[in-house]
Amino acid sequence: MGGVEDEEPALKRLKLSSIGLVALSNVSSLKEPVGGSSSGFMARPLSSPEGDKQVIGSRGLIKREEFVRIISKALYSLGYRKSGEHLEEESGIPLHTSAVNLLMQQILDGNWDESVASLHKIGLEDESIVRSASFLILEQKYFELLDGEKVMEALKTLRTEIAPLCTNSSRIHELTSCVVSPSPRRNTVRVGSRSKLLEELQKLLPPTIMIPEKRLEHLVEQALISQRESCPFHNSLDKEISLYSDHHCGKDQIPSRTSQILEAHDDEVWFVQFSHNGKYLASASNDRSAIIWEVDVNGGLSVKHRLSGHQRPVSSVSWSPNDQELLTCGVEESIRRWDVSTGKCLQIYERTGAGLVSCAWFPTGKYILSGISDKSICMWELDGKEVESWKGQKTLKISDLEITGDGEEIISICKDNAVLLLNRETKDERFIEEYQTITSFSSSKDNRFLLVNLLNQEIHLWNIEGDPKLVGKYKGHSRTRFIVRSCFGGLKQGFIASGSEDSQVYIWHRSSEKLIEVLSGHSGAVNCVSWNPANPHMLASASDDRTIRIWGLNCMKVMHQNAHTNGIHYCNGGNLDEAKLIFN
Amino acid sequence: MGRLFVLHLEGKIYSCKHCRTHLALSEDIVSKSFHSRHGKAYLFSKVVNVSMGEKEDRQMMTGMHTVVDIFCVGCGSIVGWKYESAHEKSQKYKEGKSVLERFKLSGPDGSNYWVNSHDSHIGGSDADDV
Repeated sequence: MGGVEDEEPALKRLKLSSIGLVALSNVSSLKEPVGGSSSGFMARPLSSPEGDKQVIGSRGLIKREEFVRIISKALYSLGYRKSGEHLEEESGIPLHTSAVNLLMQQILDGNWDESVASLHKIGLEDESIVRSASFLILEQKYFELLDGEKVMEALKTLRTEIAPLCTNSSRIHELTSCVVSPSPRRNTVRVGSRSKLLEELQKLLPPTIMIPEKRLEHLVEQALISQRESCPFHNSLDKEISLYSDHHCGKDQIPSRTSQILEAHDDEVWFVQFSHNGKYLASASNDRSAIIWEVDVNGGLSVKHRLSGHQRPVSSVSWSPNDQELLTCGVEESIRRWDVSTGKCLQIYERTGAGLVSCAWFPTGKYILSGISDKSICMWELDGKEVESWKGQKTLKISDLEITGDGEEIISICKDNAVLLLNRETKDERFIEEYQTITSFSSSKDNRFLLVNLLNQEIHLWNIEGDPKLVGKYKGHSRTRFIVRSCFGGLKQGFIASGSEDSQVYIWHRSSEKLIEVLSGHSGAVNCVSWNPANPHMLASASDDRTIRIWGLNCMKVMHQNAHTNGIHYCNGGNLDEAKLIFN
Repeated sequence: MGRLFVLHLEGKIYSCKHCRTHLALSEDIVSKSFHSRHGKAYLFSKVVNVSMGEKEDRQMMTGMHTVVDIFCVGCGSIVGWKYESAHEKSQKYKEGKSVLERFKLSGPDGSNYWVNSHDSHIGGSDADDV
């Protein structure tokens, strides 16, 4: 490579390269290998059907030499040393040039001056890389001299060899201080530190000269990830991805069949949300009640508690971080805090002369936040004591409210076309500005993304790390009059689901923005959806038809016990008392 | 009927005569010189809490326009129309703006206008006259 002469016998060279490789520990690198000259290689291929071809593969994209070298590298990394040597010999394509092998051996042997000289012979064109690599080698020399208590020689190396390289003045100061205080010195086990040096050099040198560690694994992983991300229905664990065939999921991975219909509310159901652990579902209704549903081991839901006491319709709920308590918010009324295990109301939060319009838990679970109808946001202790208030145009009468997982930013709709991200400590304000009126929003589990529902029947996905960026748009559902909510869900939150005024549930593939499923069954507008965070195959939808539908996979047969006939009936949308899931 | 999404306006408000849903602000009036078949109508630069019907081409006094009827989200009653596009260059200023029929509105002072047979235009289509 780089015009280096190669007069060494192949086998001797191969032995050296394998020693060097075995000494290297696994360092993953994302660098792409670039095509390099092979003039430095001794090409002595044994009879091979592909022998003369420079490129392989049906598209002509893969350079044969690069491919073989990467396979050799993988074999050595996996510990198959003999196979690696055999491949180098049979293909006539060595993993490293003799100059690189010599450099590696010199480093492992501690021949520092020779190894610095060898750096200039391995085909490096970038002088800054040569200087940086020399610095690393001489730094190792310096430490080993100090370890051997040859302080004067170490200082001489520092003054006459390291300092003139002028690559890292602050590091030179650190090295000087090692003479006075020996604590920052490297590990005295020299073989270990020398192989560590080889790892560092490997990161520094171009991949054509030293192939990055685990390069083949990285390429294969990239291919698998690419296949998974382009698969619009991928909703199962990654262990199911195989190298043996291209990855394709069928629609059967998406919850698209009604597995249960929950009919305990007496009026329209406006809001549903699964608990963080997926063991409960809470629903809020125009009937002025909320219900906590319990999810059994088979995936069937039953009423755990009916929460009554609000004087107005219940617009939303919020689960405590530990799922042991629940907040319910009445429309411009009050917030109530409930004990999930007993169903008892623990506290009522209200403001004289103003209504509470939204609710959220502080991540520690020690405070709650609320939007107020006077456009302010308030934080309360659990016992009802008001601890902080953010006045001014901070929220609207119809707004959602969330707080990031670190407790740093409060998120609220502050005007008809803008979402406010308010830093609780610094009071700094960031905004997501839309060109249309915002009707609702929800955040991703990692708080990095926000799903914003717009008046014009679009859902926008925003990345809210740093300056907010619009990264996705989802269309197809209908919304003309009501608050229709959407959510993230599925495996790794790879899907977007939304209610719709046409009585259907819409599901999009998050990254491709493709509409992949429309679920029919409700007989009234679908106001809200929630995907079970613990079960990517369970989705709940709340509707004006007074029911909540639980959607599961098509392969599940749902049965319920009929009290009159003692028979088992397949559910075609009837009332379910006891649900049992049978997998085909 | 799900939870209505209704914006609350502040200022001098024109609201739906039937259900009092806020529709527009006095400061957003572009012209009061419009007419519908039922009498006076106002052109607003911005209206809220309305849903839209299907696009259709209508021949009006000032030429052909593509319009959509607009309905109050609170009660569903038709309150006017919105100009999607104007076919004639001189009428392009109307695009994106909405006309609310005065007799469908309750004014900022609580006043209502009723259908006036003298004011109303005879004919099958809405008309505008600036």
